[in-house]
Amino acid sequence: MAAATVRSASPALPPDDVLTRSSGRLRWRTGFDSAIGWLLPLLFVVALYPILELVYYISVQAVPTLSWTVLTSTNPVAVDALGVPIITTFEIMALATAIASGLGALGGIATAEFLPDQAAEVVRASANMLAGAPSVVVGYFGYIAFVLYFGWGLSYIAGVVTLSFFMLPYVFRTVDLAFTSIPRPIREAALGSGAGPSQYVLRVGTPIAFPQILNGIFLAMAIGVGETAPLVLTTTHGVLVPQSIYSPVSFLTALIWSDFDAGKVSGLQVVAFQCAFLLMIVVIALNIVVRVISARYRKRLEGLYQ
Amino acid sequence: MTATPAPSGWEDVVLSVRDLTVSSKERKLIDRLSLDFPPRSLTAVIGPSGCGKTTFVRTLNRMTELTPGLKISGSVLYLGQEIYSREVNPVLVRRRIGMVFQRPTVFPKSIFENAAFGLRLINEDEGAIDRAVTDALQRAGLWDEVKDDLDRPALSLSGGQQQRLCIARALATRPRVILLDEPTSALDPAATQRVESTMQHLKEDHVLILVTHNVGQAARVSDRIAFLHSGRLIEVGPTPEILERPREALTQQFITGRFA
Repeated sequence: MAAATVRSASPALPPDDVLTRSSGRLRWRTGFDSAIGWLLPLLFVVALYPILELVYYISVQAVPTLSWTVLTSTNPVAVDALGVPIITTFEIMALATAIASGLGALGGIATAEFLPDQAAEVVRASANMLAGAPSVVVGYFGYIAFVLYFGWGLSYIAGVVTLSFFMLPYVFRTVDLAFTSIPRPIREAALGSGAGPSQYVLRVGTPIAFPQILNGIFLAMAIGVGETAPLVLTTTHGVLVPQSIYSPVSFLTALIWSDFDAGKVSGLQVVAFQCAFLLMIVVIALNIVVRVISARYRKRLEGLYQ
Repeated sequence: MTATPAPSGWEDVVLSVRDLTVSSKERKLIDRLSLDFPPRSLTAVIGPSGCGKTTFVRTLNRMTELTPGLKISGSVLYLGQEIYSREVNPVLVRRRIGMVFQRPTVFPKSIFENAAFGLRLINEDEGAIDRAVTDALQRAGLWDEVKDDLDRPALSLSGGQQQRLCIARALATRPRVILLDEPTSALDPAATQRVESTMQHLKEDHVLILVTHNVGQAARVSDRIAFLHSGRLIEVGPTPEILERPREALTQQFITGRFA
């Protein structure tokens, strides 16, 4: 009954009040909306394909050849013993992450909270440039500065410090952003309660910024762990777990670098695939950790000055 | 520590503002404003948006310094001491002159730790903190609602409770003066009423300076009204007098809501 009334009324309505009519332009716009709705999932698949292809390609080569013995054997002469590079890679990552996190967090906090605005902008621009520098440039910087100028030689320590410089801007930027994005009234409330700037940073700022700081550190690790140039240009290849800070080192990316092409001749190419597979697992794991941390902390900070 | 010796008779004036001018690059936000605040009083600072009332209270505990580019001249005397003098530490000023903001600004900590925030900064002992937090929560009118779960995250409280927690946080360090910058503008009527009754209790012990754009609120809680317009103090007087017989036409227009 009601529907019939509407239908019979519509011819009498002024044209502007008719809701069912569709002009050419409106039809085009609706069509565009639905096209976007189809296009986006398609693009998603296009973007996803190379990643899945890469994961598959590496996995089928590496997984059948990996065994517990291969992963844990530290035999320096065996070719399929990855124990030494795995341990060394983790050591390098731990040390480089510690240096990069310390310097990056201090620098980020200083820039966000203590430096005058113009000086802060200069520091931010420099950090962005460092982040944009190709890893090979950072590698040569490390070679010239630490290996030659500081006289450390091609060594474990030169590699670690150079890699930490490569990771530094990623930590710095997230820490800086984490502190500058704390709502201003929260900062003023802390200062208005009689907190000095450093008390604000320690007691209010850091707990709020902490999840983002962790995010930055894990992001920097995920980027750093796959880097080759900063390390191969500043270290020499070894077969043992480093005994001193000047030791030669063996690490996963170096084996990919040396064995992928040369391995075609020597038959050791499979080692490159094994290393690539392990690095891939580490990077995926780091990304999952980042997700879990952010999700957990986002809940805790929900409702902060909405 | 004290900048200038307290002159005799400061018991009658806790905070004294003399010829205060605050200017940004473009214009004067506060123009030669002079006003005294006696103990145990609640002064409502009212005026149209942009009249400088928020800027005014923020200069009273040196919060304006956190906004770069503002120039401040004139003087603000706290118990006879010039708070803008070079020897004065702004951190100590803010401990004696507390502040509550437009929206609740609780920290992501427990209810207890929020209230204890100012005391932790000055390393009070645990027992003293316990007593001061209980007292502050009681005086802020929040104790009965939270006494059983002081360890709950403060962010889980309602907006009105959060705002009373902010008042408790300001109270815990026992400041003499509390600045309230439109403390109920983000609250619903019931929560507003709770905060207003809290303010009425607090004026027995403190100097309260309340910025509000709500004439009704000023009428309900204040005993004195200062009307600001374009950064100038147009008039100040006892609340009933200002509301019933304002001397200035601008004040009359504002309180009757006929403001251009």
